[in-house]
Amino acid sequence: MLSFIVVTFVLIAIWEGYKLIWLQMGWIRPVRPDNTTMPHVWDMIIELFRPVRRGGDLLILDLAARSFFTLREAFLGFVIGGIFGFALSVLFVRSTLLERSFMPYVVASQTIPIIAIAPMVVVWGGRLDFPQWLSVAVISAYLTFFPVAINTLRGLKSPDPTALELMRSYAAKPREVLWKLQVPSALPYIFTALKVSATASVIGALIGELPAGFGDGLGRALLTFSQQFGARSVKLYATVIVTALVGVIFVTVVTLVERKTLAAGSRDFEVELMTGRATG
Amino acid sequence: MSDSPVVRARNLGKTFGKGSDRVEALRGIDLDIESGEFVSLIGPSGCGKSTLLRLIGDLVPASSGELTVNGKSPQQARLDRDYGIVFQKATLLDWRTVTKNVELPLEIMDEEARSERAASMLDLVQLSDFAKHYPWQLSGGMQQRVAIARALAFEPSLLLMDEPFGALDEMTRELMQQEVLRLWQQTHTTVVFVTHSIPEAVFLSTRVIVMSARPGRITDRIETQLPYPRTVDTRESAAYYDKITEVRESLRRGDRQ
Ligand SMILES: Nc1ncnc2c1ncn2[C@@H]1O[C@H](COP(=O)(O)OP(=O)(O)OP(=O)(O)O)[C@@H](O)[C@H]1O
Ligand SMILES: [Mg+2]
Repeated sequence: MLSFIVVTFVLIAIWEGYKLIWLQMGWIRPVRPDNTTMPHVWDMIIELFRPVRRGGDLLILDLAARSFFTLREAFLGFVIGGIFGFALSVLFVRSTLLERSFMPYVVASQTIPIIAIAPMVVVWGGRLDFPQWLSVAVISAYLTFFPVAINTLRGLKSPDPTALELMRSYAAKPREVLWKLQVPSALPYIFTALKVSATASVIGALIGELPAGFGDGLGRALLTFSQQFGARSVKLYATVIVTALVGVIFVTVVTLVERKTLAAGSRDFEVELMTGRATG
Repeated sequence: MSDSPVVRARNLGKTFGKGSDRVEALRGIDLDIESGEFVSLIGPSGCGKSTLLRLIGDLVPASSGELTVNGKSPQQARLDRDYGIVFQKATLLDWRTVTKNVELPLEIMDEEARSERAASMLDLVQLSDFAKHYPWQLSGGMQQRVAIARALAFEPSLLLMDEPFGALDEMTRELMQQEVLRLWQQTHTTVVFVTHSIPEAVFLSTRVIVMSARPGRITDRIETQLPYPRTVDTRESAAYYDKITEVRESLRRGDRQ
């Protein structure tokens, strides 16, 4: 935490130092040091406490509401994508045939840019009478399932072959091998993926909001403020900072859950618990 | 138990792979192991010792011949949880305590009174003080003792061991051999033990099966005929040395064939 604060101040110092030196020397490359292109950090912060528009809410309150809105979509996408990615990896680890047949499509899915996918999802979602927020969550899930699927699959395959033979010698059922050996072995991999997915889910939600025509999220704010860049660039910068913060908070929460889960001894899964059978 | 031998193999063969990758790991294995025996499999690397053990455990399927375990097919014996197995690597689950590792097979087999059973097994391998420890907090020898406790926790009639002490230092190894003999006598388990060490095979076994490579086959069967309990005195006796010499010469003869 301390190192994070130190780095924050160093970054601010570099930003302000650049402005100072470039202004003194009259340099304009690579970036002009003027207050529109590179506003002062304190101006960005002050902007947060000004009304968005005349008589409106303070920018920070407006952005907080938008963050909450976007985070909710992102979280839903994160959950949907996480479950889908996990399910996919379990299918793939069970059947090499399925893995070989479908893995190329899973990989290909990520080479299609999300801005191409997003409008399609919104249109199809509309046809299917999906609520708009669900369409946005699906767009976000499209980005989040991939790291989970790939990493979980690696994790499920990580146990030593002798550990699998040991389970076989106990005549363990596939379900027991999964929950008592493979999933606990995969947990560190899964959490690595979830951290990537957490940031990806925010990006997915931001982009999904645009074709969905949502005015209440951070996505719209970013778009609007970037169109007003010339007039009031500080607004865009302030919003970018808040957006980044949303991602950081999400990842931090995942990291905390990871620490709790991977702490010695709490990594086990009772098969009985998972399947609702009575414990003996 | 029953009158049929615990392990009965007739003309048993195993071939891995096809075409140019074809490896005939075992050919024409005839072997009877009676209840209560302690049988060691010894032979040069690649002669199929592990493969034979894995055939008995139904971890790989046989290619030809007959094999029964407790009078049943190896698969049925495995499904009936007739055997426990210990590998060279302890293969404990990192996220489980020592106790929970020993309880693993009991959980899968839905056995009752798991913690009591685990506690008494840990008592048997003298690790009660480490019940709450995690595998990485134990020495190699202690980990292997946990693996043995885990293999015996559900009281299988047959214990399969594949070079279980191969990674241990000489001192620990001798202690573990003593320990395994004690467990064998206390639990009346039949043991099939794979090893590279001639003294180890002679010290532990009632019978030593000498094998030879390319193709893997049995070339000799030697009754050790040393009285139990075997102790440090056994290791220093002339009869012990004579047996070691006998096995060594048999191995050399098998190699030349
Ligand atoms: N899964 C497998 N696929 C292909 N070949 C195998 C496989 N397992 C064993 N073999 C081959 O079968 C032969 C016997 O192997 P095995 O592991 O049984 O020997 P071993 O006597 O246990 O040797 P070591 O003393 O080195 O452990 C070897 O030639 C090995 O390459
Ligand atoms: Mg071997």
